[in-house]
Amino acid sequence: MPTPNDQMPKQPSAISHQPSAIGHLPSAVRLPRLLPPALIESLVTILIGLVAGGLLMLPFGYNPLKAYQALFQGAFGSSTDIMETLAFATPLMLTAITFAVGVRAGLFNIGAEGQMYLGAVGAAFIAGALRLPPGLHGAAATVFAMLCGALWSVVPALLKVWRGVHEVISTIMFNWIAFNLSIYLAIYYLAEPGRAERTRPALETARYPILTEGTTLTAVILVAIAFCVAVYLYLWGTRAGYELRLVGENPEAARYAGVRAGNALLLSFLIGGLAAGLAGASQIIGRPPAWSLYATLGNVVTLGFDGLGVALVGRNHPIGGVFAAILFGALAHGGRYMEYHAGVISELVRAINGLIVLTLAVPEIWAMARRRLRR
Amino acid sequence: MKPPITDERRTTKDERHLRRSSVVLRRWSLVGLIVIAIAIFVYGLEQFGLQSVGLLEAGLLAMTPLALAAIGECVNEKAGVVNIGLEGILLISAVTGVWVAELFGNGSMGLLGGALIVALVGAVLGLVSVYGKADQIIAGMGLNIFALGFVPFLLMSLWAFPGIHIFPSELMVPRLTTPLGQLSPVTVGAVVLAVLAHVLLHNTVLGFRIEAVGEKPEAVDVAGVRVDLLRLFTSILGGALCGLGGAFMPLGWFGGVVKEISAGRGFIALACVVFAGLEPLLALAAAFIFGFTEGFAYAVAVTPGVKERIPFYFVNMLPYVTTLVVVALVIGQRRFPRTIGRPYARE
Amino acid sequence: MNTKPSIEMRAIHKIYPDGTVALRGVDFHLHPGEIVGLLGENGAGKTTLMKILSGLLRPTRGEIHVNGQPMHFRNPSDALQSGIGMVHQAFALVPPYTGLQNILLGQEAAGPLSLLQLEAAQKKVTALVGETGLMVPLDVPIELLPIGVQQRVEIVKTLYRGTSILILDEPTSALTPLEIPELFQFLKRLKESGKSIVFITHKLKEVLEISDRIVVLRNGEVMGEIPTAQATPEKLAEMMVGRAVVPRVGRAAKPVGDPVLTVHNLQVMSDTGTLAVKALSFEVRAGEIFGVAGVEGNGQSELVQALTGLRPLKSGEVALDHTGLEHPNPIEFYQQGICHIPEDKARFGLALNFDVAENSILSRQWEPDFLSGLDRLNWDNILAFARQLVDRFNVVTPGIRTVVRSLSGGNQQKLLVGRELSKQPRLVIAVHPTRGLDIASTVYIRELLVKMRDEGKGVLLISADLDEILELGDRIAVMYEGTFIGMGKADELSREEIGLMMGGIAPKGRTYANAQ
Repeated sequence: MPTPNDQMPKQPSAISHQPSAIGHLPSAVRLPRLLPPALIESLVTILIGLVAGGLLMLPFGYNPLKAYQALFQGAFGSSTDIMETLAFATPLMLTAITFAVGVRAGLFNIGAEGQMYLGAVGAAFIAGALRLPPGLHGAAATVFAMLCGALWSVVPALLKVWRGVHEVISTIMFNWIAFNLSIYLAIYYLAEPGRAERTRPALETARYPILTEGTTLTAVILVAIAFCVAVYLYLWGTRAGYELRLVGENPEAARYAGVRAGNALLLSFLIGGLAAGLAGASQIIGRPPAWSLYATLGNVVTLGFDGLGVALVGRNHPIGGVFAAILFGALAHGGRYMEYHAGVISELVRAINGLIVLTLAVPEIWAMARRRLRR
Repeated sequence: MKPPITDERRTTKDERHLRRSSVVLRRWSLVGLIVIAIAIFVYGLEQFGLQSVGLLEAGLLAMTPLALAAIGECVNEKAGVVNIGLEGILLISAVTGVWVAELFGNGSMGLLGGALIVALVGAVLGLVSVYGKADQIIAGMGLNIFALGFVPFLLMSLWAFPGIHIFPSELMVPRLTTPLGQLSPVTVGAVVLAVLAHVLLHNTVLGFRIEAVGEKPEAVDVAGVRVDLLRLFTSILGGALCGLGGAFMPLGWFGGVVKEISAGRGFIALACVVFAGLEPLLALAAAFIFGFTEGFAYAVAVTPGVKERIPFYFVNMLPYVTTLVVVALVIGQRRFPRTIGRPYARE
Repeated sequence: MNTKPSIEMRAIHKIYPDGTVALRGVDFHLHPGEIVGLLGENGAGKTTLMKILSGLLRPTRGEIHVNGQPMHFRNPSDALQSGIGMVHQAFALVPPYTGLQNILLGQEAAGPLSLLQLEAAQKKVTALVGETGLMVPLDVPIELLPIGVQQRVEIVKTLYRGTSILILDEPTSALTPLEIPELFQFLKRLKESGKSIVFITHKLKEVLEISDRIVVLRNGEVMGEIPTAQATPEKLAEMMVGRAVVPRVGRAAKPVGDPVLTVHNLQVMSDTGTLAVKALSFEVRAGEIFGVAGVEGNGQSELVQALTGLRPLKSGEVALDHTGLEHPNPIEFYQQGICHIPEDKARFGLALNFDVAENSILSRQWEPDFLSGLDRLNWDNILAFARQLVDRFNVVTPGIRTVVRSLSGGNQQKLLVGRELSKQPRLVIAVHPTRGLDIASTVYIRELLVKMRDEGKGVLLISADLDEILELGDRIAVMYEGTFIGMGKADELSREEIGLMMGGIAPKGRTYANAQ
């Protein structure tokens, strides 16, 4: 993206220095104090997204009320549905981390998609092709997937640090390269014999245990939440995390404080890669019934981009992201009911996601709302 | 901070101005070299049985949407507005273009309709950027994600078929037969538009104001020219041009729409803009280079003897790898408007 | 004045969207052919009032009458229609455009899609330039011109639009002392030709010299209006600040010690690849304040960056207590006992969206006191330190976990200065330490710097504010085009001499030699 960052490194980054959805609320960090206004903003944004989505349905003769009723019933109607919602939330909280940690360092890292593909391939490889003892097998597949994701983030990171190539262009290109590479690997090396449409399923030894029978929720969600908490503790509890956030918040002050911006950016990319890799693994060794990667990548595509909206609604905070992921997971799971009961294709949920992101980009909405409230 | 003038400083600064034009010169010579390389390459390919005319045709087809999107974005970014939602605009206009074409039973009407409908999308993005003071990168990405979901929804709602729609072939915009092979009139249009955009930016009153508004909106505002209207105009223009490119993909090229028809072209177009340093003619050249890579990938994918040896998926990566390499090579040499991506507020 | 006022502003109120009240019912009028001085401190509302008159801002309440007619300006072109034009403090010029292009922007006299024909208008502009008698190059990009010339372009641009009422916002702040009389002569000529001028300033001397009538604003209200003939500096100062002006701080009683900082033959490059600091040599001794005066942009920023590890040295030596420093790594410099109060606190010294505690360790985050095992932050120590900082340096804040953005500028600066001075430095480098602050904070911070000196630290004070340098400096140097054009003890240099040097005229007899 040809923003001035590439050419004029001294210009404040477009992301961290504008009064933007990201910029003006970064201290959503201390949850208890900032929860109320931030939470209200997030909820109102989601509401705006849903209303706009409803308006989209009208011209095509769908009944938005019926559709949304189905959606919410689908998402929260029974305890099984809630479990299912959580299963959908698992990868989203992780890909949200990729974007959020990027923003914290002043980056617009949208490479979660490709890094997640590679993570999924890595997990499918270890889980399906190697024989290891139970426990160790799952751990090995998880770690390898995370490393694959991190590895895929290294080149865009170095291009950014060394050449100033804007991460929007480099990560998107890497997403497409990853897309082709992953399909190639899935078809040529990992395919299940006789069933070319997917990779060899993960062996029992590598699978995360299912938490409640009859749902697709596995223990991988615990790993995911633990990862989010770890990232939170790292960013707010260590010198490196402090420096990473300082680079994103004010690059010149970071220089003044003796921080090497390149290291912070690299770190941010790597953490993002690990998170995305874990998200990929969660869909292979933590998600029945397939336990494998479809050759079309059908069971992982767009989970990376969805994380962007999740991160923004979660105020680019790792813990906020967990809650936002549950909301988006509800939309995703409920969307299937909506498709079944109201005939509205579930992809519309993604359009709503986009509208939510668009709404969050407009700080004036909140400025106006605040002015109204003051009067 | 301005240093007080001395002769020494002035010369070095003048040199910088000179250097700026020499960068453009160097960029053109780079383009020249690449074209020569392509020619030699094509000659070599012909020895292997690849059709060079077919290759050029494919390259020009692939160039067209990239060029249209990039030209509009050049003008838009000159005014200081960044639209990274090009990808989403391409997607939406591809579907709406086909829909309008079927409505009127005419492919050209589809091109026009697609462009006009997404001009509205450009207008919305412009409104959000100018009056909403939005973070333009987030807003653009929101548009992309929206399109990712909205397009399958449209495909389903309009034609009740998931993910793909093939329309009657008589709706295709007819191609022109020229010495260069079968050309789409849209391709010719893209070239003409690049020239027009160049003239607009460099020779008209409007272009004079557009460049000023990207560099220093305060100056334009104080001079009594509406900053908001200028930026809104470029946003709409950018949207419309990109929409023409988007509608061209099904109507002048593929003969159908799939839900991922844009395949990253919006972002490759952004790379063209980076390469071109906001010069429409250079953006056209860049689009040709990237388009040719894509055409080459298609040609390889169908050539007997080659396709067996190189997996299709690797050939498919070619445009993306090329884009990355080119951007990494040329980055950091151009100058962008000072206020690019930043909303203007008086207070 | 017996003519009817051409401009009348009545009961103007302005409340900014963020809730700041800038104007509280201001009345203002202007007659043809007079120069009105609009005097006030930073934040008094002078600029806001004039931005409203020039159509850039809209008043929250109040009326504007031009020649008796009520007017509602929606944008600057409406005001221009009524002949009102403003020269802003930060010029509204397009940097890569030439003077001619800038003057004609918005006045192209052709439809938007018609071809741009600047040459046709060139004659008209040249004629206007001739009339004004100003030297204005028309074919050089603005960014290559010195700031004084840019100001002339801006004035010609405003006049080209047919203005009869010219508003100048702090027009002398960017000028060298030599350029000021030239501007004043021009303004007087303009007045004689029947135009009226509003001259915004906070400098008493200037307003007394140029204006016919003075309006003093304080805190968004008119504190008084007085014909210049009856005004005295004391009277104006009292109206402006409401109490006696800044007290002078005492000179050092103790003798100075050994050099803390030694700079020898230092050369530093600027971002644009030119030589910004040219073969500079000087010392800062323990127990003295070494003040560097000069118009901004003469290499001061680059010098400071080189002395704090933010910019590599091209050649030369920098030594702190005879320990050489060369690697461009700020932390190493801090470890050696340098502390740095940077020129723009919001840009360099603070992260505005971080809280007070987080900002209290900015640039100190590597210190072992604030860390525990595995490089974890030791929040107990950090919070205790932040609390102590807030208490010791009178930072007014709701709490140490409050976001710094919500503090006032003065309190932000106190936090920053406190953080730096509590580093136990041997050398304090302070750049424009009181810029933009209210009087109380200014006095407080100046006193802190003096205290550091009296404790035997070396203080390198760089400021564009000549008064500050004269008040605090024990030795003074004037920086011009990358070198010290002159240097001497504070009591040996007169204000006039320094003014000349700031304009590039070296004093006869005095040389670059180190005056000790």
